[in-house]
Amino acid sequence: MKNEKYISVDENNDGIDRAGFLKCMAWAGTGLFCMMSGGVMKSFGMSQLIDKNIGALKKGLILPKADFTFAQISDSHIGFNKPANPDVLGTLQAAIGKINAMPTAPSFILHTGDLSHLAQADEFDTLDQAMKNAKTGKIFYVPGEHDVLNDNGRQYLQRYGKDTKGDGWYSFDYNGVHFIGLVNVVNTAEGGLGVLGNEQLEWLEKDVKGLSSSTPIIVFAHIPLWEVYPQWGWGTRDSAQALSYLKRFGSVSVLNGHIHQTLQKVEGNITFHTATSTAFPQPQPGTAPAAGPMKVPAEQLRSLLGVTSVNYVEHNHTLAITDTPLIATKETKMENQ
Amino acid sequence: MQVSRKYGVLIAMAIVVIAGIAAVPSPRKDYKNLKVLPKDISTKDLSRIMIDEFEDGLGVSCGFCHAEEKDSHKLDYASDEKPEKEIARLMMKMTLDINEKYFQVTHPLIGDSVLSITCMTCHKGQPRPRNPE
Repeated sequence: MKNEKYISVDENNDGIDRAGFLKCMAWAGTGLFCMMSGGVMKSFGMSQLIDKNIGALKKGLILPKADFTFAQISDSHIGFNKPANPDVLGTLQAAIGKINAMPTAPSFILHTGDLSHLAQADEFDTLDQAMKNAKTGKIFYVPGEHDVLNDNGRQYLQRYGKDTKGDGWYSFDYNGVHFIGLVNVVNTAEGGLGVLGNEQLEWLEKDVKGLSSSTPIIVFAHIPLWEVYPQWGWGTRDSAQALSYLKRFGSVSVLNGHIHQTLQKVEGNITFHTATSTAFPQPQPGTAPAAGPMKVPAEQLRSLLGVTSVNYVEHNHTLAITDTPLIATKETKMENQ
Repeated sequence: MQVSRKYGVLIAMAIVVIAGIAAVPSPRKDYKNLKVLPKDISTKDLSRIMIDEFEDGLGVSCGFCHAEEKDSHKLDYASDEKPEKEIARLMMKMTLDINEKYFQVTHPLIGDSVLSITCMTCHKGQPRPRNPE
């Protein structure tokens, strides 16, 4: 019997075909696939790259050569069980499945926080078990505000903070690229804005001081380091100071999560990118009374998959948010959705 | 033979009791200043209330009610320094009273799914409820 309330067929090729899955379940399960070539990062939404039926790249897609690749996933919220997505583990596993279906295994994965929903030991355990199935070299984490509830991040640090500084910030080098993981969730400013704090800012200044200006830099943190929508706390109060230390570098990419949708902004030498969640979508900035888990009707599902272009105007200031680059041919024409 | 059977029964009972204790989520014991929420609340229940009722219900984050530690950017969850925290307590009491008096909910608890009225009922994701239209 056809029940229009449920998705019974995976028509959208999004990995969601489980019987009884609520139609409002919306998506998740995408991640970001990043390629470094000549010090420049290119990013692609994985939902638009992988054909689930064949478990490989969609027909006609040709990925450019890269020095190395890595993937970003975010906001898994293991433990969340509300109607916006009662199966966050299933959608995380779908995201991992997409990573594993890439023709070249990513050198590593960046998880940009909110691993758990309530910072419980069993939630972290479940995430760890799921992430073990990812075919990659290593997984790097930064915490989201949900990972530091109640204990200022003590448990997160015990699990994921080995060889990190302060609340869990660190840097590492890979193939000539300098990666910096920042923590902006242990305290939040009025209105929910992220805060890096003086200690971390001082560390960051020293961390990049000795680097050549030609070194490609990739920063990753949970709450966006640009003002996406401060009214909802979608920004970081002292990010300007952090970014001032990076102005002299020729190529800087900043990867964040937290807002559960893909936005991109280019400002001078810095490209900002936020990732979709593997758990549930959130409203676009300013389109709802407040941020939070969003139930969506089935007909909107496709619009939440992969890369979304958003034009955002706030107080007469227009943010130049650009489309995430996609590779398409005539055989598999893809549109920004 | 009879003695070893007795020991066997005792050991089995002990295993059952220990397993039962282990299965119950252990309440966190170092909460210092809970006045409306149950003092023996588990970390999971407390976290769920903070997320569902306050973060989602009011659209705020922890720092809205919780003050920072002295000489640190971390939060001092026990501190009553911010007046918003006492207001939150009053609001929780009011919510429980309304559910008990007008909706006949017996022994109402914040975060309980049987509540008819929650923070979200009036706040709708805003720190302060908007005036009714």
